Order: sequence, then structure tokens, then C-alpha cells
Amino acid sequence: MIPVAYNLRSLAVRRTTTLATAFGVALVVFVLASARMLSEGIRRTLGQGGRADTAIVLRKGSDAELASSIEEPMVGLVLAAPGVARDSRGGGLGVGEVVVVITMEKAGMPGQVSNVLVRGVPDHVMQLRPEVRIVAGRPARPGTDEVIIGQRIAGRFVGLELGRSFELRKNRPVVVVGVFAAEGSSFESEIWGDLNTVRNSFGREGIVSSVRVRLESPAKFDAFAAAVAQDKQLGLEAMRETDFLRKASEGTAEFVGILGMLIALFFSIGAMIGAMITMYASIASRQREIGTLRALGFSRLSILASFLLEAVLLALLGGLVGAGMSLLMGFVRFSMINFATWSEVVFSFSPTVEIIGSALAFAAGMGVLGGLLPAVRAARLSPLQAIRG
Amino acid sequence: MAAPQGHLSPAEGAYRSEPQVRAIARLRGVRKVFQRGAERITVLDGLDLEVPDGSFEALMGPSGSGKTTLLNLIAGLDRPTAGTIEVAGANLTDMTDGELARWRARTIGFIFQSYNLMPVLTALENVELPLLLTKLPAAERRKRARTALRVVGLEHRLHHFPRQLSGGQEQRVAIARALVSDPQIIVADEPTGDLDRHSADEILDLLERLNKEFRKTILMVTHDPHAAERATIIRRLDKGALT
Amino acid sequence: MNLPLLAVRNVMRNRFRTTLTICGVAVAVLCFVLLRTVVYSWTVAVDQAASDRIGTRHKITFIMPLPRRYIDEIRSVPGVTAATWMNWFGGKDPKNERDFFATIAVDSRSFLTVYDEIVVPPEDLERWYQDRKGALVGDALAKKKGWKVGDRITLVGTIFPGEWEFHISGIYTATRKSVDRSTLWFHWDYLNESLPERLRDTLGWVVSRVSDPARTAEISKAIDARFEDRDVQTLSMSERALNLSFMGMLSAVLTAVDIVSVVILVIMMLILGNTIAMGVRERTAEYGVLRAIGFWPRHLAAFVLGEGMITGLLGGALGLLLSYPIVEQGLGRWVEENMGALFPYFRVPWPTAALALTLALVLGVVASLIPAWRAARLDVITALRRMD
Repeated sequence: MIPVAYNLRSLAVRRTTTLATAFGVALVVFVLASARMLSEGIRRTLGQGGRADTAIVLRKGSDAELASSIEEPMVGLVLAAPGVARDSRGGGLGVGEVVVVITMEKAGMPGQVSNVLVRGVPDHVMQLRPEVRIVAGRPARPGTDEVIIGQRIAGRFVGLELGRSFELRKNRPVVVVGVFAAEGSSFESEIWGDLNTVRNSFGREGIVSSVRVRLESPAKFDAFAAAVAQDKQLGLEAMRETDFLRKASEGTAEFVGILGMLIALFFSIGAMIGAMITMYASIASRQREIGTLRALGFSRLSILASFLLEAVLLALLGGLVGAGMSLLMGFVRFSMINFATWSEVVFSFSPTVEIIGSALAFAAGMGVLGGLLPAVRAARLSPLQAIRG
Repeated sequence: MAAPQGHLSPAEGAYRSEPQVRAIARLRGVRKVFQRGAERITVLDGLDLEVPDGSFEALMGPSGSGKTTLLNLIAGLDRPTAGTIEVAGANLTDMTDGELARWRARTIGFIFQSYNLMPVLTALENVELPLLLTKLPAAERRKRARTALRVVGLEHRLHHFPRQLSGGQEQRVAIARALVSDPQIIVADEPTGDLDRHSADEILDLLERLNKEFRKTILMVTHDPHAAERATIIRRLDKGALT
Repeated sequence: MNLPLLAVRNVMRNRFRTTLTICGVAVAVLCFVLLRTVVYSWTVAVDQAASDRIGTRHKITFIMPLPRRYIDEIRSVPGVTAATWMNWFGGKDPKNERDFFATIAVDSRSFLTVYDEIVVPPEDLERWYQDRKGALVGDALAKKKGWKVGDRITLVGTIFPGEWEFHISGIYTATRKSVDRSTLWFHWDYLNESLPERLRDTLGWVVSRVSDPARTAEISKAIDARFEDRDVQTLSMSERALNLSFMGMLSAVLTAVDIVSVVILVIMMLILGNTIAMGVRERTAEYGVLRAIGFWPRHLAAFVLGEGMITGLLGGALGLLLSYPIVEQGLGRWVEENMGALFPYFRVPWPTAALALTLALVLGVVASLIPAWRAARLDVITALRRMD
């Protein structure tokens, strides 16, 4: 086996070329890893907050809360369905919520508007969502015109700041009294107000968008769903909250994920060609060395392995740099429309060990593919021919 | 051989037995010191030299004696650390890099040991190359290049690439290239170093002819006594000084 | 023979490496063109928006409709020459729920007066007017779904529950690139009459045409002023501003695509620069000779820059050549059929093609700046010694 030090020094000798090639690989890995991190961030943001023991009920045919409407009396029927956990007062543990979207002006961008999701929640909502914490201010008092806002949209829109107010309808200002965190889920990009305040403002009296219930255990879902679906009069359908959120995030996450993958794939062809050029040139100028190695008794296989290894090292060097660059994207907040609600959600780039690992593996793969043909050429040189130059 | 124009035609009164007395190159107190890392190497130390116009000089000496350095200095490729160099009426030590380049193009023809032809150009194009620096029209350039190749006896190899030629032929193309801009001086660094005896003789014949027939001053660095015999003056250089 | 020829010959010298480099540049240019086309087709909705149309919607939320009587009041605002309204229906094909296309209920009497860029054959139009359940579908949607005039189709309502039957009355095309050619338009009356009493007689949004495009801002204000004191206030803006605000929600994606398209240019430069630098390194001795026989440093720099320029240009041309069939024959059609709402017109615009080629050329030069500088400042003696 030819020592690795030989390859490392060879790379060091041709410093500029090595760096240029490695940097090309680094950029590809950066793009790939960033896109996957964003895709993961979207999946986490939209998919989080989902619990296996929670079910969401929507009107049949609506796949988003925004499009769904359920008459108030049905909420009681849903809560009474089998499998629903009991709350402290002995009733079914669940909430009927109304979801609307309002148009707001972006902070610092006069005239630029975007949509924000407003959720009308009943007063016992925190029982169902214990993960929601107030991080600034205080909770809204039930039955008032007070709202709390998710921490990710705080400050991003005009009026969305502690103590400021904005209108839900004409002459009906609501006051921001608190900012909440919800473990990074998309709730953090929402405004939460009193159920009746929101309903009245939007002419939705007597209607909710969705009903969420806590089940006695995840296993009870099938019985619950069957009971909900059985009553054709209700016209409702139940989904596990995790499934619902996954479905809602699918489109957006896939969109970004696939776009990123495609781009990275195309880019990698470019970088691979770059690695190939470098390795070919490196081998061409080292013909004598290769011949000498062969003359010294190293086998063709060890020459092949050595040059392949050199290509992989070169690509990995780039891969490490690219992965490092992509980790910096963790500081970037990415605000984008959520196709399921037509409102803006703020995402972050979420690095995972798997993403970084596979990005490095991808880099190594580029090294192998880019280095294979040149390495084969090196291995096929006859010692005599090589020494002659 | 008779060229149709004044360009490259044999000079009047060729085959003169006596070289002219006027010096074409005059070196005074030339010192050349190289800095290699922390080490200072004095290659030439206070060298004086006069090269008579129209002479064919051979510079001999062991490797490291400074003969190539001396040749480079006279050809205006390098600058002395101290001393003055005057070649073909120009004081090289005073000239800028740009002026030197222009001067070289006019005054010096180069022949190298390993020919140094452009592999991507044909024989004719290689010879034409130096003329690209002149304002001559394309047709005229080509005509002169052909004439130069005829002088070296390669008129049947005009469109061959260097790799299609033998070593001797390549060197003859290189000589034609050195000749084409009608320089006063031709410098040749080991022109026969890579060649077999037969080809080397052909090249030396050619150089002799350039000297006698075209009155070119030729400065040749060589360590081959056989080659040096052809020269009118043989100088030996050892440790930076003429002996 | 001349100097450019020498540069061309040098480019062709290591044919294998040059081919690889050109392929690398071509792939990069292809990526660049695709990415720019994404941005372009996204912004085409804004650039091509009608300048004489105003959209009016509920001030606070797009999910609430306007009262029916608003249409007459808007029509009476000075400067408004015509107005129509429509409601978002949100239908889905039960056979393939993942297929997204817009389904919109329009007032058939006034719709085409306001949207005069929509082209429907007269006999199709007549058929549509006669059929209460008739629908007009875009040519891209019709092609994708295989719908023909006369077909009966059933959609499931996501907002208005139940199964809805439609008859394909005609296929529309458009003279403006901003029109989504995969929408289904049907009679607002059909929707309205099918709804329960309390949901009837609402306008999703109103679109008006104005006499003078220069006065859209002023007329928008006049419309909103008229409803200022009502319970339901309105928000009016030009079609352009409306599309722009929608794009604003995707601006982060656009920015990302912008950044990525710069990244690919950098990768391209690295590949190019690397190749040129290698060529220069291998030809050191030749450059030494050129310097010796009187060429200037700037001549050598010009050779190297010329090489970069030629390689960049060849790669750029190949990339464009590849991108054209890919976008025009395959990708473009697929995108228009499946993502027509986002990308109504997905084709390589000429300025993008020209930009790509220019950039390939310019980056070829930029990439060879360092090698050119190296070649120029080469020490003649050292360069010559390297050969022997």
C-alpha cells in the first residue's frame, strides 16, 4: 500500500489547484446541505407540535383548517366520542378552534403586505397544548380583546409587538399582551386570540374550523376515527395530528427538498468534472513518479487505490468546508409562504447529524466518481512508458 | 541560394577572411550575483568582454561556470548586478523591460538546446511567430518565413508540426525562427546538445553559413569541443572569469 | 497565422481536458439558465400584469367575501369602465387529489370584458353561455388532464362541500404571459344558486378596468374611500401590486434561488480557472521562449485571457444549446401544466440566454486573470531553465 502521506503531500504541493477544486466541491456540499437543512427545518416547524395521542377533526373534504368549517354543536358530539381523554371537569379534553388569515404590513417595509394566520382559541387551550409557554408578557385573559403572538413573527409585522395593537375588524383593535414559544412549531408564526373575539370579527359565529382532541392513548385513534366517520350527518373526518401536520408540511418541504436536490445534483456534475480535470492533470505530471512506484514493485491495484484515495481526500476536504459553511446557515431565518394556509411561516435551517453525514458521503462519492477514470489511467501506465515520461 | 529581396540575401563581400574590428558587444566590469535562499552566489565577477562584429564565438566551460548567464546578459534576457553592457549600439543596462523586449525582437535571434518550438504551431507558423511583433502585412510575414525555412533547407516541411519532425529538423526550424527577423546577433545555448553527431554537424554547418554568408554575429554556448572547433573565437569561462 | 489563432490552438491542445472543461461550464450555464428561468417565470406574473386593472378585496382578510351590492358601487366609481367579480371555489379532482389547479367561479357576463387577454373560440364561448354547469379550462390543464370539449367532470369542493358536476364548454388560451393556463372558470350563478341561503350573494373579490392606467393608484383610493365608513372595508390595488404582494411571500425563495445562481457561477469560474492555470503551468517554458524572442508580458496575458474567453464561450454556447430543448420540450411544459399557478409561463427568455452567454465569456476572462497575471510576471530565465 502506498502511504497516505504521499497523497497528502501531493495535494499540498499543488496547493492552488487543490484549493480551487476543493472549494468547488465545498460549494456543492454547501448547497446540498443547506437545502436539506431547510427542508428539515420546514418539516420540523410544520410537523412539530403534532402528538400521536392527539386527533384533529375537519369537515370531510377539507384538508386544511382554513377551508374547514364545523357547526358549534358538533364540537360536543366529537368530544363525547369514544377514546377521548377526560379533562379535570370530566368533559372530553379537546378544543374547537377557528382559523383565519389576515393581511398585515411587514415591519420596516412600507406597502409590503403578507398574510398572517390568526387562531381563535378557547380558554382551556393550554390544557391541550402544554408545550406552549409564554416567554414575554402574560397570557391573554379569556373573553377579552387580548391576543398573544408566536415568538417567530414578533416584530416582523406592524403592530405585532408587546403592548401594540392592530385591528381584526373595523373599530375592533386587539392588544398584544404576550409572546409565546411552542418548541419551534409553526404555532410560533401565529396570532392567538379569544375564540369568540376572532369568530365575531370574521362573521363566523357558531362555527369552528377544527376540533382537536386528546385521546386516552394513541391506540384509541382508530375507534375514535371510526366513530366520527360513522355519523354521516356530521360530515366530518378525523386524522392523527401527526399525520395531518406531516401532510400539511409535505408540499412545502418537498418543494424545497426536491428543488435543492436537483440543484445540488446538477452542481455536483460540474464539481465532479472539476475534480476529474485536476486528477488527470495531476497524474499526467506525475507519470515518472507513477512509473517509479511501479518499478519499485507497487501493484496496479495499489496505484489505483492510491489515486482514488487522493481524489476522495480532495473531495472530503471540500466537503468539510462546505458542511462547515452550511452550519452557519443555522443563524439564518427563512420566511416563506406555507402553501397549506397561504400565510407566512418563519423557518430555520435545521442541521442534523444525518444531513451533515450524508453531505460528506456525497462529497466522497463525487471524489470516487471524479477520480475513478484518472486513477484507472494511472494504474494502466506501464512502468517503462511512465519513466520515459 | 539567392533570395529575391534584400531580406536575408547574402551580404556583399561575403566570405571575408577577416572579422571586422568594431565590437558589437562590449561588457565592462560585469558582476552577476544570484540570491538563492540565504546563500549568495557570485556567478560573474567583474567580467570584461568585447565581441567583434561578425564573429562566431564559442563559450566553453564546466557547468556552473556562468556561460549561460553571460549569454543571457548579452541577449538582454537578464540584467547584471553591476557593470555595463552595450550590445549593437544600445546600452542594455539603461533600458526598461519593455524597451529590452522590443530591442530583443529586433536584434537577437535565439536558438535553444531543446528547440523550444510551439507544439501547436506548424513549422511555417513557428518561424512566422517573431514577425507578429512587427507591422508587416500577413502576406509579407509568410513570404519571409518561407524564405527563412528555405535557407535552413526545410521548404518541403512548411506545414509539419514539431512532433512530425526529427530533432535536427526541429532545430533547423528554430534556426529559421532565429533568423527570420534578420537580427544582428544570434545566441545559441547548446544548440547541438540534444542531437546526434550527424544532425549536429548539419546544424553547425548552418550556423557557419549564417555567420559567413549572412554576416550574423553568433554567440554559442557549448561544452562540445567538436562544436566549438567551428567557431572563429573560442573563449573559456571558469568560475565567472574568462581564461 | 495571428495571435488569436495561437490562443485557439492552445485551447485545443489538451483536447480531453478542454472537452471536460467545456462540459463543466456547459452544465453550470445550464443550471444558471434554469435557475434564472425560475426567477423570470415567477416575476413574469408581475411584469406582464395588466396595468389597467384593479383588484378589490376585503381589507382585513382574503378569506372573507364582499357584499354583493359592492359591485354596482364600484362600477359607479369615476374612471372605472368595467368590473367583474369572482369567488375562489377550491375544487379538487377526486381521481387525483394531489393535482393542484385553480377553480374559480366568475360572473360570465362581465368576465371577458375585464379579462380581454383570455382567448376563447366563439363557438366554445356560445356553448359556455348556454350551459349553467359549463366551464372554461386552460389549454395547459386540458392537455394534462386529457379533457376535451363536451366532457363531463366531477370535482370535490374543499370549501363548499360535496361533489360538483361541470361540463367542459371550451378551452381558453391567453395573449398575456401572466395568465395561468391551468385554471377552470365556471359560472358564479351555478355556485351561488347551489349554496345555502346564508352563504349566497357574496363576492370573493372584484376586478375593475380603468380608463387610464396612469390613474390606477388614484382610482384604487377612490374605491376604498367609498367603503371607508362601512362595516366591510376594502383594499384595492393594481393587478401588478397584487401579484407583487403575493410574490413578496415567496421573496425568500427567490433570494435563495438568486444566491444559488451566483454560487453556480463561482463553481464555473473555479473549473475554468483551474484548467487555464494548469495550461499556463505546463506551458511555462513556451512562455519563456515567447518572452525571449521579444513578446511583452501583456502579450502573454492576452494569450491566457483569450484562452479563458474561448473556453468560456464554447461552454456557454453548449450549455445554452442544451438548455433550450430541455426547457422548451420537456421541463417548461411540465411546469406550466403542473405548477401553472406559480409559473404561468416557464420558458427561457432571450435576455437570460444572452446574459448566460455574456457571463460565460466574462467569467472566462475573470477566471484567467490570475493565471494571466502569473504568465505575465514570469521570470524569463527561470521559465527557460525549467525546460532544460
